[in-house]
Amino acid sequence: MHAIAVDVGGTFTDVYSHGPAGAVAAKVLTTPEDPVEGVLRGVARVLTFDPALVGSVVHATTLATNAVLERKGARVAFVTTRGFGSMIPLGRYARVEEDRYDLRFTPPTLDVECFEVTERLDSRGAVLVPLDLESVRRAAAEIARRGIASAAVCLLHSYANPAHEQAVAEVLRSRVPHVVTSAEVWPEIREYERATTTIVAAQVGPLMAAYLTRLRAGLASLGVRAPVYVMDSSGGVMSAELAARRAVATVESGPAAGVLAASRYGEAISFDMGGTTAKACVIRGGRPAITHEFHVGGKGSFGGRRAGTGVPIRTPAIDLAEVGAGGGSIAWLDAAGALRVGPRSAGSLPGPACYGLGGGEPTVTDANLVLGYLSSASIPLHPALARKALDRLAGPLGVSREAVAHAVHEIVSAAMASAVHVVTVQRGIDPRGFALVAFGGAGPMHAARVAERFGISSVVVPPHCGVASAVGLLAGALSADRVLTRLGAADPEAIFTALAADAAADLEVSPSAPDVTVERSADVRFRGQSHELTVPWSPAREELAERFFARYREVYGIAQRGEIEVVGYRIRLTRRFPGPPETAPPLGPPPGRSPRRRRPAYFPELGGYADVPVLTRDGLDELAGPAGLAGPAVVEDPESTIVVPPGWSARLDPARAVLLERLERAERLERRP
Amino acid sequence: MSHDALTAQVLRNALVVAAEEAGIVVVRSAYSTFIVEGSDASAAILDAGGRLVAQSMATTLMNSMALRAALPEVLKDFPAASMRPGEVYALNDAYRGGVHTNDLLVFRPVFVFGAPRYFTATMIHVSDLGGLSAGGMAPLATDVFLEGLQLPPVRLATAGGLDRAVEAILRANSRTPDKVMGDVRALVAGTAVAAARLERLAGEYGEAGLAEGIAEYLDYTEARTRAAITGLPAGRFEAAYPIDDDGVHPGRELVVRVAVTVEREPPRVVADFAGTDPQVPAAVNASASQSLAAAVFGVRCFLDPTIPMNEGCLRALDIRLPEGSLLNARPPHPCGGRFVPVYAAMEAVFQALSDAVPERAIAPSGILQPFSIAAVGAPYWIHLSYDFGGVGARAGLDGPDATGVHFGLGRNSVPQAEPVESRCPIVVESVETVPDSGGPGRYRGGLATRTVFRFLADCHVTTRGDRLRLPPPGRGGGRPGRTGGFFRRRLDGTLERLPSKANNVFFAAGEAFVVETTGGGGLGSPHERPREEVEADLRAGRVSPRGAREDYGWDGG
Repeated sequence: MHAIAVDVGGTFTDVYSHGPAGAVAAKVLTTPEDPVEGVLRGVARVLTFDPALVGSVVHATTLATNAVLERKGARVAFVTTRGFGSMIPLGRYARVEEDRYDLRFTPPTLDVECFEVTERLDSRGAVLVPLDLESVRRAAAEIARRGIASAAVCLLHSYANPAHEQAVAEVLRSRVPHVVTSAEVWPEIREYERATTTIVAAQVGPLMAAYLTRLRAGLASLGVRAPVYVMDSSGGVMSAELAARRAVATVESGPAAGVLAASRYGEAISFDMGGTTAKACVIRGGRPAITHEFHVGGKGSFGGRRAGTGVPIRTPAIDLAEVGAGGGSIAWLDAAGALRVGPRSAGSLPGPACYGLGGGEPTVTDANLVLGYLSSASIPLHPALARKALDRLAGPLGVSREAVAHAVHEIVSAAMASAVHVVTVQRGIDPRGFALVAFGGAGPMHAARVAERFGISSVVVPPHCGVASAVGLLAGALSADRVLTRLGAADPEAIFTALAADAAADLEVSPSAPDVTVERSADVRFRGQSHELTVPWSPAREELAERFFARYREVYGIAQRGEIEVVGYRIRLTRRFPGPPETAPPLGPPPGRSPRRRRPAYFPELGGYADVPVLTRDGLDELAGPAGLAGPAVVEDPESTIVVPPGWSARLDPARAVLLERLERAERLERRP
Repeated sequence: MSHDALTAQVLRNALVVAAEEAGIVVVRSAYSTFIVEGSDASAAILDAGGRLVAQSMATTLMNSMALRAALPEVLKDFPAASMRPGEVYALNDAYRGGVHTNDLLVFRPVFVFGAPRYFTATMIHVSDLGGLSAGGMAPLATDVFLEGLQLPPVRLATAGGLDRAVEAILRANSRTPDKVMGDVRALVAGTAVAAARLERLAGEYGEAGLAEGIAEYLDYTEARTRAAITGLPAGRFEAAYPIDDDGVHPGRELVVRVAVTVEREPPRVVADFAGTDPQVPAAVNASASQSLAAAVFGVRCFLDPTIPMNEGCLRALDIRLPEGSLLNARPPHPCGGRFVPVYAAMEAVFQALSDAVPERAIAPSGILQPFSIAAVGAPYWIHLSYDFGGVGARAGLDGPDATGVHFGLGRNSVPQAEPVESRCPIVVESVETVPDSGGPGRYRGGLATRTVFRFLADCHVTTRGDRLRLPPPGRGGGRPGRTGGFFRRRLDGTLERLPSKANNVFFAAGEAFVVETTGGGGLGSPHERPREEVEADLRAGRVSPRGAREDYGWDGG
């Protein structure tokens, strides 16, 4: 059977199909109005075989993210404890540099209509004020009268006792079609983040259900009737039915897929640079780092997203840093005449100037074309338009076109580096022992330059690197996560068992089935602090404490010991994806010798343009000995271009990944087993 | 090109990131109540000349100005040539750059080719360092000695670890000795992280390269600041802003005065606070660094908000603070309540520049309202927090509700009910915006909030408020914001108003403490507010039907 993976990004929709007939990839422009259109166009391109042979379709979607960012989600009624109706309008925002001195700044809020019900619990779940059902009925009537079809219920301390929320939901369901409660979505202490997570679930749930229904109808029209799976934010995969119910878990679906593509390289830093954004993530022992809070629409702080600048979501997500810069980022001059790149992007329309779709502003892609790094591939490029666009900067700066182009390339590489910095150095991790795994349309062009900034001496460019996120989708396992805040719990074992049973019900499996893995972890802190760290669980208190101390030292650089307390309990349940094998069979090299070409490309180390070889992966394999081909060189894929700067060597490994190595260390690396 | 400009851009990121890292480490590992409740740490990088090079995003201007003022004082007592790698210095002395007792400033020299060329610095409001009330507020202090431990510049640590004598002094002066030492270790760790980054940058750029890169960065910032100043009309603009009282003499108003002069050749802004009332023996004075921050912040809000914050920006501003005034106090006048005169100074600058640039005018605001709730004796639990008033209306825009627009603070630092209730014997009954509290106007002032804390155990409440008697006035026909206050709700439900500045007021279990902030002033006549906007406010509950009729002349309903 064949598996088809579909990754919808801001600029491109990538489709990858894999099965007995081999691997096929397609890259088409995203259709923002209705993403299904682009998806079907891409799927049609890879369907070189009988559609009935498709066994599964795995999908990464930005639908949930976009619904939040563009405020296109369902209209939501927020139902909470009396006295807290202002919780969402007041919000918990913070400021970033660009608006701290802005007197005209108005804090963003989530769009909801708030309703209060009479009830109150304490932090142990005991009832302080009984639930007044009449107050719930009044709220339900008003919600129905206003024509609101989706409700989010978040009552104080419901993580400790969900009974009131359940009773409220039961009454609401008689008048409101879609109701979610915070205890079922994410029962964790801190009412604001629990509420926003629940509200987003209520906003995107109905949307996701409708979208997946349309997608499945569209696929059926192509003859594809296989089950559809959706990737969640933490890199797991769930059925479309579950995705509609737990849509809030798919908010970071797209970025997660890319990271999984890099996971097979063990100790690695994934570096995914596309048209509008770039993302970095650390992978250790083949597993990406996971975070338990992220901020949709959060504003940047040098690669991180500052807490309080977006909508906090507490479901687990792959811990990645994102910078708003990519191939489509526009270069411009600021008021003081300094060259800046981004955050504005030319997107898929009009796109970079060299696309010839009407864009005139210089972008990173235009600079890379002028530098000779890039040439026409799946999208035809117009060098004259790129030159003209770059001249708009060269003139005022009084420097040559290629100098400006190279400065744009460097500034963007620096921005990319800041994303790598956030996930490594800022987390107390020395990046030098890691391989940089580069993919995305623009990643392999900048990868070696980003690696140089960190003293990273090894870069891996996987096969199909231009559509690596789509490839990564096929590496996800079926998974479900659960959390519970429980202060001073007497019986952690019972909590874990209940959480696992709940998660297993989602996947329709038994927690004890042989192909099911259950991971337990706990949120631990020093008594008296408020920030927890998540560590693998141990029922032995001393061992748990040791794990916490070690993690604490790793994260903060402080060797501290003291009394600990456990605040929360987490379960991650995974089941091997019943899809295709994990790795793609390599495509055999095409018959005959590969064409040899050369073109001028710009390298400051060589004093400007130099005539460099331009190869395909197969051409590289023919030319490079075991020690690799010394740069400068350019290796072209159908969907991406790899730049090998001077000082680096390149060779093809048996799995058809291109390995770049720093020359001074190449010999030493060569002797590694 | 512009290869230099490029280098500056890359280096700038690296410097700010170094400060960011320090801040992250401190926030995550500190014990202070403020930090535990969500506040941020401050972190900065300075050079050996005391110039501010970079600061983390979360660093308030008040804190970076304190660090900048304090470093030269450290160097007076400990000449740079005597410093050794691994050493760390600390102080809190308000008259030598510090802020007040609980704000601990920590500095680490960064050695480049054997000499301390730079300093990394961190600071937070630490858990407790003595004084009249647990957590650090002493609103009725009449001299600095009542505010807690005074720490002149000391060597806090060497490469071998914390100095045992200093540690013993800090522990002996704290109600929460373990927590305070946890905070100190966090601050020290933060400076170490940033120092390691800086050393690597020096290795990468070379000693001269780093120095030149920084100099260019500061020059670039100065050029942008001066360019932005040419966008302001030249001239002299005067304003004054009052303070309710000093806490010791209720009803006796104090005044901060400023003359802001916008000059052209070269472009420069002078803010002269001559005429401000003299310092008082009460906790409403400010140290000079804090007043400098207020003035710089006030001016910067009328310039391009994207200009970086470093020494280059400060070169284009001349801030004059009369010595011995409320804004530049001498020993032993207490400075613990410095935000009171500092916010008055900032508001005065806002009003002066609003006259200069009416299209970007802002009416005065309700301000932050700190309070603490603590156990009456050991073992101490402390809830130290603040809530925010409504922001004044802006030309063309209503004021945001209860947000604390000033000094880069945000509602992120307002604690949530669930963690507070799990830590302290308190039930948070409600956190609500107050209808009709925003000053009526063509553009309405932001709303105030009312928060009710019911106590499950006896406790002490300490308050430090301002603009609770003299409301923030409206501008251009706008009306004042509604004043809030601190209240006791007795067991029978009746309310008793507390003084705006009160120390260790006893509350019995079952009583409730009510914190009501003040709304922002309105801008323009309320009768010019379109009916649709009044009705939208009615629907959102920002205005009551009665308020709509009485304040806006609404004839509906």
